[in-house]
Amino acid sequence: MILRRLLSLYGLLFFVFIYAPILLVVIYSFNANTLNMMIWNGFTLDWYRQIFGFETTITDSATYVDSSAQLYAAVRTSLTVALSTSVFSTVCGTALALAVARYRFRLAGFYRTLMMVPMIMPDIVLGIALLIFFITIGMNLSLMTIIVGQSTFLISYVFVTVSARLAEFDTSLEEASADLGATPAQTFRKVTLPGIAPGILGGWLLSFIISMDDLVITYFIAGTGNTTLPIHIWGMLRRGIKPEINAIATLMLLFTLVIAAVGLYFRSRRQK
Amino acid sequence: MSLARRKLMQLIGLLGAPTVFLLVFFFCPLIIMLVYSFLTPGLYGGVEWQFSHLNYGRILGWADTRYEKFDPVFLAIFLRSLRLAAMTVVTSLIVSYPAAFWISRMRPGRRDFAIFLVTLPFFVSLIVRLFAWVLILRPTGFLNQGLMAVGLTSAPVEFLYTDFAVILGMTYVFIPFMFLPLYSAIEKLDLAQLEASADLGATRLQTFRKVVLPATMPGIVAGSIITFIPALGNFIVPSVLGGAKVLMIGNLIEQQFLSARNWPFGSALAMLVMTVVLVLLLLQLRLARREAQS
Repeated sequence: MILRRLLSLYGLLFFVFIYAPILLVVIYSFNANTLNMMIWNGFTLDWYRQIFGFETTITDSATYVDSSAQLYAAVRTSLTVALSTSVFSTVCGTALALAVARYRFRLAGFYRTLMMVPMIMPDIVLGIALLIFFITIGMNLSLMTIIVGQSTFLISYVFVTVSARLAEFDTSLEEASADLGATPAQTFRKVTLPGIAPGILGGWLLSFIISMDDLVITYFIAGTGNTTLPIHIWGMLRRGIKPEINAIATLMLLFTLVIAAVGLYFRSRRQK
Repeated sequence: MSLARRKLMQLIGLLGAPTVFLLVFFFCPLIIMLVYSFLTPGLYGGVEWQFSHLNYGRILGWADTRYEKFDPVFLAIFLRSLRLAAMTVVTSLIVSYPAAFWISRMRPGRRDFAIFLVTLPFFVSLIVRLFAWVLILRPTGFLNQGLMAVGLTSAPVEFLYTDFAVILGMTYVFIPFMFLPLYSAIEKLDLAQLEASADLGATRLQTFRKVVLPATMPGIVAGSIITFIPALGNFIVPSVLGGAKVLMIGNLIEQQFLSARNWPFGSALAMLVMTVVLVLLLLQLRLARREAQS
């Protein structure tokens, strides 16, 4: 009994450990203190006003020199990259998952193992390998190289998500459809695709989020002039810590949490 | 067209494009990196297409020419990376194991929600999460404010830019990697076995050591390996929380590519990391296969 109580207490501490740091950032993004960001002295929305370009009482020295326009440009770049990468990865990952799950061929097991590699490989290794590769074949670093580079490992994430859904999807439904005279194309469109749609959607959202957040690989293959949001913030952090980051971080948090919640919701639906 | 033939065409249709894409943009780059690690660095950045084993020699000890000399600092940083990654694994294990145990004993609905909560931070921007720890650990940070308020210390303790901060940060970032495999092993635990062990007079500690630990070992090993690998090559966490004081091999690789401009040497360092990764992956594969057989 005591042991169980201790375990519960520990479990609660575990969640405090996970969430307290994030919560602190959110709370202190409303801190009015411009001189010492670590000491709370009142509530303000100024940091958010600053980001969105409204009038504030903040002096210039308390903020980064970057204009809001630069921040927006970084957000735009990130969204462009994430949208392209996630759509491309979702198509490729889904195709691979379908092939491995629904066809018998000798390399199926090989594919399944191989798709794990990009996910757990240290990202710096992939980052520099891609950098060397692009330079060697004479491809200029651009948005295109970021999209291609991120796709190499995001395909794996989609593959795993869709495969999980396929594994739980009843093949007898597809057989019934074929028995009832549907062509393979019809069966795929009317039975298989709706059945695994939540997995595809989940994989797409997952790859979208990871792409939005990718720092390491993008850092090496972005070249100059293609600043994504993580790289922009990375640059800010390197120039010192100012409270503005709290507000940017909170907004990013909000954005990812909404997408992640939707994505995880679809992934968890497979249990039902 | 026969059925078998049509199926084959469909299969090629599905596999073809993604396979080519991965061959070109995933495997080719890794092969080229391997090749680069055996080339001679040019004097002013760039590379000369001439075989050289000295990139490895500079790290491992046999390089002894005018330009390419062995420097023990590289090996020391590599060993430190191994050590910090290992300590991250141990810390994550200690942090996650009881929590996974606790969550596995919840009612199903609550349990799913708890797992959702554990995985959620993984989707929060990495920089945001690390930045949060900077706020906590810096000299004027929350931890020091708390310690001084309680009177445990009169002057701020230097937490930031230490091994401690790096291990803490990596543990924090990689918790889902350790938690999920652990959880799936603990969930499969047969409660009847625990009761039987207790009925037969085993103490709790004995039950844990002789029943629980061996039964959850596959989860422990899998979690440890997939935590160790990204921890070993990490360079964001040591950059943010370790500063210039706690360099890991990731930082060294980054330097070779972005400031020192010695790509062959950077590739050799990366290959060193890859070697460890591949050994661990093969190990994991063999263990998983053995488990599947038994």
